[in-house]
Amino acid sequence: MSSRVCRTCGGSDIDVDQARGSAVCTGCGSVLEDNIIVSEVQFVEGSGGVSSAVGQFVSADGPAKAPLIGSGFHTSVGKESRAQTLQGGKRQIQQLGSQLQLNQHCLDTAFNFFKMVVSKHLTRGRKTEHVIAACLYLVCRTEGTPHMLLDLSDLLQVNVYILGKTFLLLARELCINAPAIDPCLYIPRFAHMLEFGGKTHEVSMTALRLVQRMKRDWMHTGRRPSGLCGAALLVAARMHKFRRTVKDVISVVKVCQTTLRKRLTEFEDTPTSQLTIDEFMRVDLEQECDPPSFIAAQHKAKMQQLEQQLAQKLDDVEGQISCYKDEIETELERSRPKLSGIYAAYAKEIGRDGRRPPVATATKTVNISVSFSEPEDAKALPATPDLEPPEAEDDELRAAAQQLTQDFLCQVIQEEEGRGEAGDDSGREEGEGSQRQAAPLAAILGKLPAPVSLGLQQTFDASEASEEPGDEPMEGGDLDLDGIDDQEIDKYILNQEEVQVKTELWMKQNAEYLKEQQEKEERIKKEKEQGTYKEKPKKAKQKKEPILASTAGEAIEKMLEKKRISSKINYDVLRDLNSRGTGSGGGSSPSRPAPDPPDATTATRKRVARRRRKKASDVSRSLAATTSMIGKRVRHLISSTSKKRKTAVQEEPPTAPKRDATPEPTAEAPPEQEAEAGPALPAPPPGPEVGEEEEEEEVEEECVSALQLVGDYGCEEEEVF
Amino acid sequence: MTPITPATPASKSSEIVPQLKNVISVVNLGCKLKLMSIALKAWNIEYNPKRCPAAIMRLREPRTTALIFSSGKMVCTGAKSEQLSRLAARKHARVLEKLGFPVKFLNFTIQNMVGSCDVKFPIRLESLFLTHQKFSSYEPELFPGLIYRMVKPRIVLLIFASGKIVFTGAGSKGFEGVKERAVIYEAFENIYPILEAFRKK
Repeated sequence: MSSRVCRTCGGSDIDVDQARGSAVCTGCGSVLEDNIIVSEVQFVEGSGGVSSAVGQFVSADGPAKAPLIGSGFHTSVGKESRAQTLQGGKRQIQQLGSQLQLNQHCLDTAFNFFKMVVSKHLTRGRKTEHVIAACLYLVCRTEGTPHMLLDLSDLLQVNVYILGKTFLLLARELCINAPAIDPCLYIPRFAHMLEFGGKTHEVSMTALRLVQRMKRDWMHTGRRPSGLCGAALLVAARMHKFRRTVKDVISVVKVCQTTLRKRLTEFEDTPTSQLTIDEFMRVDLEQECDPPSFIAAQHKAKMQQLEQQLAQKLDDVEGQISCYKDEIETELERSRPKLSGIYAAYAKEIGRDGRRPPVATATKTVNISVSFSEPEDAKALPATPDLEPPEAEDDELRAAAQQLTQDFLCQVIQEEEGRGEAGDDSGREEGEGSQRQAAPLAAILGKLPAPVSLGLQQTFDASEASEEPGDEPMEGGDLDLDGIDDQEIDKYILNQEEVQVKTELWMKQNAEYLKEQQEKEERIKKEKEQGTYKEKPKKAKQKKEPILASTAGEAIEKMLEKKRISSKINYDVLRDLNSRGTGSGGGSSPSRPAPDPPDATTATRKRVARRRRKKASDVSRSLAATTSMIGKRVRHLISSTSKKRKTAVQEEPPTAPKRDATPEPTAEAPPEQEAEAGPALPAPPPGPEVGEEEEEEEVEEECVSALQLVGDYGCEEEEVF
Repeated sequence: MTPITPATPASKSSEIVPQLKNVISVVNLGCKLKLMSIALKAWNIEYNPKRCPAAIMRLREPRTTALIFSSGKMVCTGAKSEQLSRLAARKHARVLEKLGFPVKFLNFTIQNMVGSCDVKFPIRLESLFLTHQKFSSYEPELFPGLIYRMVKPRIVLLIFASGKIVFTGAGSKGFEGVKERAVIYEAFENIYPILEAFRKK
């Protein structure tokens, strides 16, 4: 507080009493000030005689808000939205963290993660709950606490996979690599929850040993650690004579019964399960098993192979059987008696339908030879001339012939059926070729599974094929019907009746939807009549155009234009300042005038200014420089504007050839605009080169007092004009 | 001078080639479609406007499913190769043409391809995760496989302990769909030596 002069007597001896909060003139006694605001600590006596200091705690990382003055508007006033978000987040973290029994250090770390997340705008479009949970889980993983994602999802009643998705995304964006979960971490926690009393430690040790054994047997890769722990604890409990049922364990471990049983079965398959309890505690088997999924895959592959082999064998056998069939039939044909009359006609029919090799002309002849020749003699028969005229037949023979033909007919019919089945079987065995219709060859080939051995061949085919699309003529948009079977397509289309039926069904199914649509339309009509119809504008997706720039500086400038970094900068003015050239030094708001620099450093500045002039008015770099040097540019600007003045006055002649023409004429125009620039950050002259910066740093070291700042601004204005 | 045989890359000597399992493509039919009328005229088309704004057409051969939107765009999935995908898309379009719409076949592009293969040995996912933390994401609580995001070529691999690998372009930010099958082969060549290092001895 500066000494003041008394109003009444003019004396400068004023007594300020902090306790009473008054300022009194000692000369005349007049009270100059009453109720001075003091900044001393005051104490208040509370209940029980305890004195406490008057005041509020303002936390370091909280918002820099002013304490509630006067009536005290609540919360919103004076707080930024960001601060509010962080405060809310902190509160939620504390709440959730305390439920998980996390210590304060973890909660602080979680809050730090949350701050990072907010600064990277990852909270947008996500529920804060989920984000908080993900941050907490991140901390759990990095610290190695035995908390599962399932616990968090239990507390929040949210699907664990949704939380997992958020967690994975955050971990990726924040580049935090959480180490993989070790099931051993969970054992003590679960053991405690299973209440083994005094022997908890021993059971835990046994369970740990079991888990380690499972790890070596490749049982834990890709599995939920809790499932393994559950199985291990169950076995350990049984080993120590505790009767814990599967249900007890699953309620603690949070897996389902099937999973637990499966783990137990898998463990059973390992050789370790064959050891006795004592042996297990002492001995460690060397052999490592394969992961169960690998074993299952191998098993499956073997089964497929076996099936294929069987199918092949069946085919072979089929072939043999059909061979035998054919032979038998030929034999029978030969051995069978020749028929006459009606029977010949029947035989002809059979000859046409059946696929047996037609017994040549023997069927036509009506020659019932008496000797029902046995198979051995059958061969001799065809040789005999069959064109003998029919001889008189005995009734007996006729009857016998009838019987024979009937039998023969039955046999043939059976054969046909059998043949039909065999045909189907073979069709099925071949693959999906059950469709007898002519399908395009390419389609059939496409269906056959490509064996791995043909892989290389396939690669070549593929590489050749991939050239084809390029060779195909660019379709002028017309549908190329090459290779499409119209009949096949027609099968998909329904006829009139079918359409009607389907229409009925569809209308019934979607009755609600149709009603909704109707109501919506009516609503729109009404609103249109009333004139209140607001058509929802369809957001045309703004395609992000790639920034084309020739230099890095240009690119940064364009990026700045598009992407507004801070809301406190008037970008238009910023741009203008720089485009007017660096000679002006980017004048500034009235609050940052140029000082009058001491002459001692003029020389350095001249050098710097000269250099700067060379690169002056490089628009593309100016903005780039702006971004990179916004932080420390205040003083620099101050010195630069002075330099500009100095150089403008002193350096004109020598630096004329080096100077660019543009700064000069523009140097006069700016000041007026600068005065009205408003709250714009000063734009420094260009030159992001290291050398310059070093020199600039030197220049900056001089301290400039506020008075100089204030005083000089007036000078600047005068001089430039 | 002893002749030295040139070293062959690991995968070629092992003769394993990734197989394409699924190809997803899109095509523009160039005309607006009335989904309701389409759905009623063919038996292999279903349309549930409440659930999905597109009609779903299934073809028997090649076995594919197509999503048809009223704007005339169509997505075809399920084909086993690029050529089959094109053929299937043309068949779908042909059906629509027969139903009376003036369809065209514009801008057929393959959006994504999914391939898989089996290296036939178990893989230690935890160790792989430890050494390649920058590229991999392994959360046994959430998914049994390790998700490996390869940078060159830009492709996502799902690696399982049984030795099975799935290649795909995840379509998420920074990992667009696999447009050519050569990318899958290249990715396999790159990952094979890494996997061998974590083989079960």
